[in-house]
Amino acid sequence: MQLDFSSKETWLHRINPSLKLFVLIMLCIIVLLVHNLLFMMNFTVIVLILFLCFTGQPTKRILLLFIPFFVVFLSTSSSLIFFGQGNTTWFKWGLIHITEESFFRGLLVGFRALLFAILGLTFALTTRPVYLFYSLMQQVKLNPKYAYSFMAALRLIPIMLEEFQTIQNAMRVRGVVRQTGIRSVFLKMKAYSIPMLSGSIRRAHRIAVAMEAKRFSDTRNRTYYYEIGFSKYDIVFILYFVTLLLAGYYGAIKGV
Amino acid sequence: MTKGLKLTDILVTIVIAIAFGIVYILWGSVYYALKPIGLHADQFMYGMWFIAANVAFFIIRKPGVALLAEIAAASGEFLLGSPWGLTVLLYGVVQGLFAELVFMAFKYKRFHISVAILSAIAACLGSVLMDFAYGEIGDLVAWNLTLFMIARFLGSILFAGVCAYYLVKVLEATGVTNLVRPASSKDYAELDQK
Repeated sequence: MQLDFSSKETWLHRINPSLKLFVLIMLCIIVLLVHNLLFMMNFTVIVLILFLCFTGQPTKRILLLFIPFFVVFLSTSSSLIFFGQGNTTWFKWGLIHITEESFFRGLLVGFRALLFAILGLTFALTTRPVYLFYSLMQQVKLNPKYAYSFMAALRLIPIMLEEFQTIQNAMRVRGVVRQTGIRSVFLKMKAYSIPMLSGSIRRAHRIAVAMEAKRFSDTRNRTYYYEIGFSKYDIVFILYFVTLLLAGYYGAIKGV
Repeated sequence: MTKGLKLTDILVTIVIAIAFGIVYILWGSVYYALKPIGLHADQFMYGMWFIAANVAFFIIRKPGVALLAEIAAASGEFLLGSPWGLTVLLYGVVQGLFAELVFMAFKYKRFHISVAILSAIAACLGSVLMDFAYGEIGDLVAWNLTLFMIARFLGSILFAGVCAYYLVKVLEATGVTNLVRPASSKDYAELDQK
């Protein structure tokens, strides 16, 4: 999502957002069913190409975004590799017990987590939330009450961040002494969460009242500011995955 | 009283949820900071990811709010670019559903702390089920799995149960909950002529 950082527009941006979401969910279900490590690796490469080349982000930012992926991969696979069950022992040291089975299963689960992460971030980087919710209303017939609430709530995020800063500054101005220890964590949580939550609830309530006062209604045959349709990019997107995944699967069976 | 959620309820729920969506993302780094300690110390922090359902339900007290809140928080987290990607959406739906089922079992009429703890445990159960399907934690050695479960359930009770309950208690003192809660029979009784 482009909150405060801009990027170039690529063909991934022009795909119908609902269709993109649907394809990604399908892909995630396929990922859950894959138990072949080679196919999983091919799958990762296929998705990685989209992420690295077509999200329209500068290379530096892409590399930066890659760090959490790597952590997710390591953390997910490591606990299974170190503590998983298996018969063929490779390495044993104290509680750590690496076996052949646990190693490959760890890698498989690691790649699975990596794939989910890349798919999700690719979607987030190439989809404007406003278009997504307009598209969901038009193509999936999502109830406008939910769609507009989501859009309003996403608009409130910058205000929430600003409020966070305000509270921080206010505490500094009034000379709140920095405390340490467990108690201070709870005090701090309370000092921030209560004003921010109550402020947000009040604001949300006011927005809802204002929307209803302006005759916001649930009728389905409403008009839209953005008309979201389908284009040739949608076909390209689907064909990309169908052909490359089939190729990847074929390659995995042949042992590439 | 009309059935279903009104625009106000939905909007307030989603705004609360998105606020927690931001917390969820930030919580990811806390979670990973504890990861190197090993022995599933990080699992103790997992409970924070169930808090939105409980807080939203205890504020608004209507059917469907818990499920909506958890889904909205997950989609907020997803749209802002969570390192877990689409997984958070799947987990969010299941966790929200399990929390909602507990409130439904009490017919949305009980708001005691025990209900909050029960729904936290239910959401935790949902996440564990998802982990079995997705993360294959079933393959962990028995002692390791036990440790994992204890840490996660204890964390859920503390964060999503007790913390959520007291958070709403303090919010009640600010008076903001009166805006969004449905009128109870006690409110009607106060209107009656004495």
